[in-house]
Amino acid sequence: MRGVRWPSPRGSYRVWQREMTIFGKYWKTLTFPNFVEPMLYLAAMGLGLGAYIRQGGIGGESYVQYIAPGLLASNAMFAASFESTYNTFVKLKIDRIFDAIVATPVNAEDVVVGEYLWAGTRSALYGTGFLAVLVAIGELFLPGSPLITSWWGLLIPPFLFLTGVTFSVMGMLFTSLIERIDYYAYYFTLVITPLFLFSGIFFPVENFPAPVPQIAWLTPLYHAVNVCRALAQGPSAGTLVDLLWIVVFTALLAALPVRIMRRRLIG
Amino acid sequence: MARNLRKSYGEFEAVRGIDFEVRRGECFGFLGPNGAGKTTTMRMIYCSAVPTGGTLEVVGLDVRRDEREVKRRIGVVPQENNLDDDLKVRENLIVYGRYFDLPKKVIERRVDELLAFMELKDKADSAVEHLSGGMKRRLVIARALVNDPDLLILDEPTTGLDPQARHLVWERLRELAARGKTLILTTHYMEEAARLCDRLVIMWGGRIISEGTPEELIERHVSPQVLEFNADAGTLEALSELLEEDADAVEYGSTRDTLLVYAEEAEPLLEKVRASGLEAENTTYRRADLEDVFLRLTGRRLTD
Repeated sequence: MRGVRWPSPRGSYRVWQREMTIFGKYWKTLTFPNFVEPMLYLAAMGLGLGAYIRQGGIGGESYVQYIAPGLLASNAMFAASFESTYNTFVKLKIDRIFDAIVATPVNAEDVVVGEYLWAGTRSALYGTGFLAVLVAIGELFLPGSPLITSWWGLLIPPFLFLTGVTFSVMGMLFTSLIERIDYYAYYFTLVITPLFLFSGIFFPVENFPAPVPQIAWLTPLYHAVNVCRALAQGPSAGTLVDLLWIVVFTALLAALPVRIMRRRLIG
Repeated sequence: MARNLRKSYGEFEAVRGIDFEVRRGECFGFLGPNGAGKTTTMRMIYCSAVPTGGTLEVVGLDVRRDEREVKRRIGVVPQENNLDDDLKVRENLIVYGRYFDLPKKVIERRVDELLAFMELKDKADSAVEHLSGGMKRRLVIARALVNDPDLLILDEPTTGLDPQARHLVWERLRELAARGKTLILTTHYMEEAARLCDRLVIMWGGRIISEGTPEELIERHVSPQVLEFNADAGTLEALSELLEEDADAVEYGSTRDTLLVYAEEAEPLLEKVRASGLEAENTTYRRADLEDVFLRLTGRRLTD
């Protein structure tokens, strides 16, 4: 084989544009479930479980204040993971949309990168809506203790774009390796759900005995939750470490699905 | 143009060294049974498979070096209709045009022309899943023309279509050829190859086993006249023995209840059958066609 094939920005944009066109047609149907789910967690855990957590909550915040920013991060993870697994599998193996695209000047590598960018966009769009709702809930129902306390919160949507790309790269890697859609049950049960539960959304993982905190540090959602919480409440220098971790992890992994997908699409 | 073109998948050699040259403006056919290597060859031409060996130039460009440029200048009708179900008929063409970075105005004008040309105007706002098989195929062909390609590659353009739909596709392809487009198509319909192709090759087992115009192939490989006998096994065996000596060739058809007898002149053979008193009432006399060439070159090996 010859050297690395670089994705073309124009080609990636065209793939992203296709997704945006379809999203523009069906956004109401597509958005609703993704929007309701974090609200359910917020209500059940934040208000239900939160009622049993004494005044003072975690680190001086109420429980609902503690979990709200983390749910922004996990919502981005779920949006990008569904996009890069089930949705991508259908385009790859069932509808064969990618085969049609790679017969044009758009190459296989552009398809993968276009899908990363789209998953990021979708995560950011959903996140913006959810963020607006969190701000509104704080203003209307929690006078004196809003859910988003810092203007840094305005940087949450762009950060969720990055989080979306990160989980798209992971989902795409898994998709590029499997032949049957059933395998996604493994991915969600063994990767996504543990991340959701043990990344510091619902409780600080630092209090667990070793090696749980160390393992958490090695996973992406843990850092995404840290960044979201920091942006919602005012960041510290440590936030840059979390951000850097995510950027490096994503950059290191991003080329792998591109290579494998190219081999799958181009015989 | 291809020289010693090869493609292997692991141990399996799908294309085992083929040479061909397609001239500008002609319709060139690849005829052969399933698994002959036709689709693999097409996929190499439209850069969806990378050759394992040999050289392949498409519109004067090397497929390995100038992948994007080759794809920019060709139109592809793949074997399976991979239309975008999330988009309506018209949207399918518009989104596809964008992959070629064409200006919006150009795309919209061409899409209108193509919908008219392929008789899909009334369906412009329909969902793809509500189209008939023939309409879907026409939409895939329209899609392949959206970048106004010099070369159109069609992998089994009419497989699975009913006769009306097939004739409409043939008519449009002939019109495209008349406008000077180069066409490369694969088919296992002899009639299609005979009607559309200026020249064709017959592929079998990953190799090209014959090449020429449809007339040349018939002349080269089979005698001009054919008698087709349909009868029970015993009668056919007797007929076979009776005619073997005088005919150019005697063969069973793809099913064992048909006997094909090839000759320069069929009449003397018919006389002989009548004289023998064998019961052969269900007999057809016809001119040899590409089907006979095809069966001669590929089918007999299966029965031998």
